[in-house]
Amino acid sequence: MSLAARFDRRPVVLIVIGALLAAALGTALVSGFRLATRLREDIAAVQAASALQAYPRELVREVSGLRERLEVRAYAGRALTTLRDSTRDFNERLQALAALDHDPARLASVQQRWRGYRAALAPVLEFRGEPYVDSDAASTRLSADGRGLYASLEHARLYALANAHGFDADLAAVTGDLQASASAAATRLRLLLQGGVLAALVLAAIAAWLLLSRARHERAAQEARERTRDILRTVREGFFLLDAEHRIGSVWSDALTQMFGREDFAGLGFRELLAGFVPETTIATALKYVDLLWGDRANENLMKTINPLSQLEVHSPDPLRREPRYLQFDFHRVTGAQGVKYVLCSVVDVTANVALARELQESQQGADAQLEMLIGMTRTDPLQLASFLDTADAGLKLVNAILRSPARSDADFRGKLAGLMRELHALKGEASALDLSGVADRLHALETRVSGCESRATLSGDDFLPIVAKLDELVAYLRGIREIAARLALTEHAAPASATDAIAPILEAAAARIALEHHKMLRVECNGFDAIPQSLAKALKDCLVQLVRNAAVHGIEDPELRRTRAKGDVGVVSARFARTADGYELTVEDDGAGIAPDEVKAVAVRRGLITEAQAAAMDTRAAIALIFRAGFSTAGEVSLGAGRGVGMDVVARTVRALGGRIGVATMPGKYTRFKIHVPTGGKDAAAAA
Amino acid sequence: MLHERELKVFVEGTTRFFEVAAQQPASIGSPYLMEEPLALHEYSGLIEVSGRREGVVCFTAPKTMLAVMLMKMHETDFGHETMRDLVGEVANTISGNARRDFGNEFRISPPRVLWGDTPPIDPRPGARTFVIPIHWRSHSAKLVVALC
Repeated sequence: MSLAARFDRRPVVLIVIGALLAAALGTALVSGFRLATRLREDIAAVQAASALQAYPRELVREVSGLRERLEVRAYAGRALTTLRDSTRDFNERLQALAALDHDPARLASVQQRWRGYRAALAPVLEFRGEPYVDSDAASTRLSADGRGLYASLEHARLYALANAHGFDADLAAVTGDLQASASAAATRLRLLLQGGVLAALVLAAIAAWLLLSRARHERAAQEARERTRDILRTVREGFFLLDAEHRIGSVWSDALTQMFGREDFAGLGFRELLAGFVPETTIATALKYVDLLWGDRANENLMKTINPLSQLEVHSPDPLRREPRYLQFDFHRVTGAQGVKYVLCSVVDVTANVALARELQESQQGADAQLEMLIGMTRTDPLQLASFLDTADAGLKLVNAILRSPARSDADFRGKLAGLMRELHALKGEASALDLSGVADRLHALETRVSGCESRATLSGDDFLPIVAKLDELVAYLRGIREIAARLALTEHAAPASATDAIAPILEAAAARIALEHHKMLRVECNGFDAIPQSLAKALKDCLVQLVRNAAVHGIEDPELRRTRAKGDVGVVSARFARTADGYELTVEDDGAGIAPDEVKAVAVRRGLITEAQAAAMDTRAAIALIFRAGFSTAGEVSLGAGRGVGMDVVARTVRALGGRIGVATMPGKYTRFKIHVPTGGKDAAAAA
Repeated sequence: MLHERELKVFVEGTTRFFEVAAQQPASIGSPYLMEEPLALHEYSGLIEVSGRREGVVCFTAPKTMLAVMLMKMHETDFGHETMRDLVGEVANTISGNARRDFGNEFRISPPRVLWGDTPPIDPRPGARTFVIPIHWRSHSAKLVVALC
């Protein structure tokens, strides 16, 4: 038999031993009670027998005394009464003794003798006559009854004398027997009591051992419970048991409280646990999955692979905790003889792991982007790169300045958005033109954050935290480019880039990239850029970049369409700068699709910029002016090239800031021409930049 | 680079203090990157961070703001020591919040309190420094997070 089996049977053995001892003790107690009763009766019998021993001689004495009274003719009534009383007493005591004695044979000879006594005494005791006769002649003499009485007394006296010794001996023997019996009973009682005490001691010892053993087990169980509690309090994982009804058991780890912000888990349904944190559809899927675990044929390892909660994104119902967390649920079946008893569920907050994985992914993407950037940089003219980096530096300083301006109300925050969008879009355009995709992507992401704020009902500083974080990322990225460029000596020894020198290559590069992306063929022709004053270079470069991108994306058709319109496959975008009598003129013209006013109006209505009624009342000139409105774009979706409706807004604002004006001429299917006029000595060009 | 999540943890630690202790929530202003030395207010609570990130987080507030906060907290002593304790307590709450959310990722020093004529904080080399204005009632403080 194994040790464990032996250990398991120990309580049964103890119970049997205890029961036997209790039975023995009970028997001892009952026997002791009986013996004590018997002893008490024996002692009473001994006392009764002792008392009877005096009677035979007393009866002889009383019979003799009565006889003597009759002889001297004394009064005999009292003596006769005394004799009757003694006889009755003896008889009663003898009957009492017979009732006490458990051995009827012992009193047989005494009772035999007493019956003789009673027979001898009967005439005396039954005497009711007058024993004397008085006469004057012969004084007092015995009457006939008196003589009969005298004879009976004499007979009784002789009988008593003859049996006195035997009677004494019989009574003494009875007394002796009774004493011996009482003594034996007392001895048995003493032995019994000793046995009882011993049994009681053994029982007490067993009880004490059981109590100690139980206390030891309880202490061990308590320690085990405490250790379990310590484990559950310390582990960072949430643990709980689920029953077949999806209810949580009475034990769970404290980490669960931190994860779900509640403490009432006992009996809580799994559905209620997840409610508010994940969508209802996810909860339904989770419950179906848990149900599968209860099936006898479910393969746990296989089940793990389809666990829908292996990385669950949860959103706290607490509005202060907007950040999603990621919880990893793991399920293990707890089985018993009857099959699956519970499902043990462990929950781990893997938010940090997810964040780390993302960081790694971002880092990898960053490395890829850096490589791409490196390749792009080697393709980019050092002068243009240096110029862009300076522009970006200045642009992002301006972005940061917009962020730094104090804001408390929704209007304050909303007022920043347009400026941020304009600056970021202008930079993005230039980065795209130079094929610096890493920078353009980051600018696009930042622009997306800013753009996302526009649709929010109310804006606060919280909404700007992601923007400033992305800005920081971009600044760090640009710093990296500058460092790499310096290491590669791409810009270090280059002559300071002239802004005007850099414009044409930027436009050509932008056009080439857009042509490639949109499967178009186009050529940019630049004229007169060397005449652009340095003070206007930055502002006009921004305008040119936007206008050329606009022409490339929206104006120039793809070769197939151009052929149907009797045009050459290669579209032409020409940009000309010239001095005029009162200032400068910048013209950007493309031989593309032109602007269709009705299409512009329809898009504006669709984007909510104008109502249908306003559109209907709008003339062609006003319709074309819509393209300069912030938020207008005919592009179907937002991309690096177009779609936010910011580009032309940048142009319009820049020209306005320079104190200039902009004109548009177009013919659908033929061309579009933008003509920007900037007066000499207009507003501060730096401010416009 | 500092992640938005990390930034939020420090901001929430600060605003939580106002909500719980001063019984009126604080809002944050427009955050920006620090490009030039930033002058501190009269009292500043500073914690140093090491581990996955290195740097400092500093809450700096003007005396007038701290005085109103103390009033809202039913304090009757507006002395120097009490103000030092208060600004230290804000830094302590930021630290506790960060410990709770970051766990072992960061090691955070006990708060250090600066007061009086303290030199401006310089942008840390190699670290981008974020400045987050904290608005409470009509007063403004700043939370400076400079980690790399």
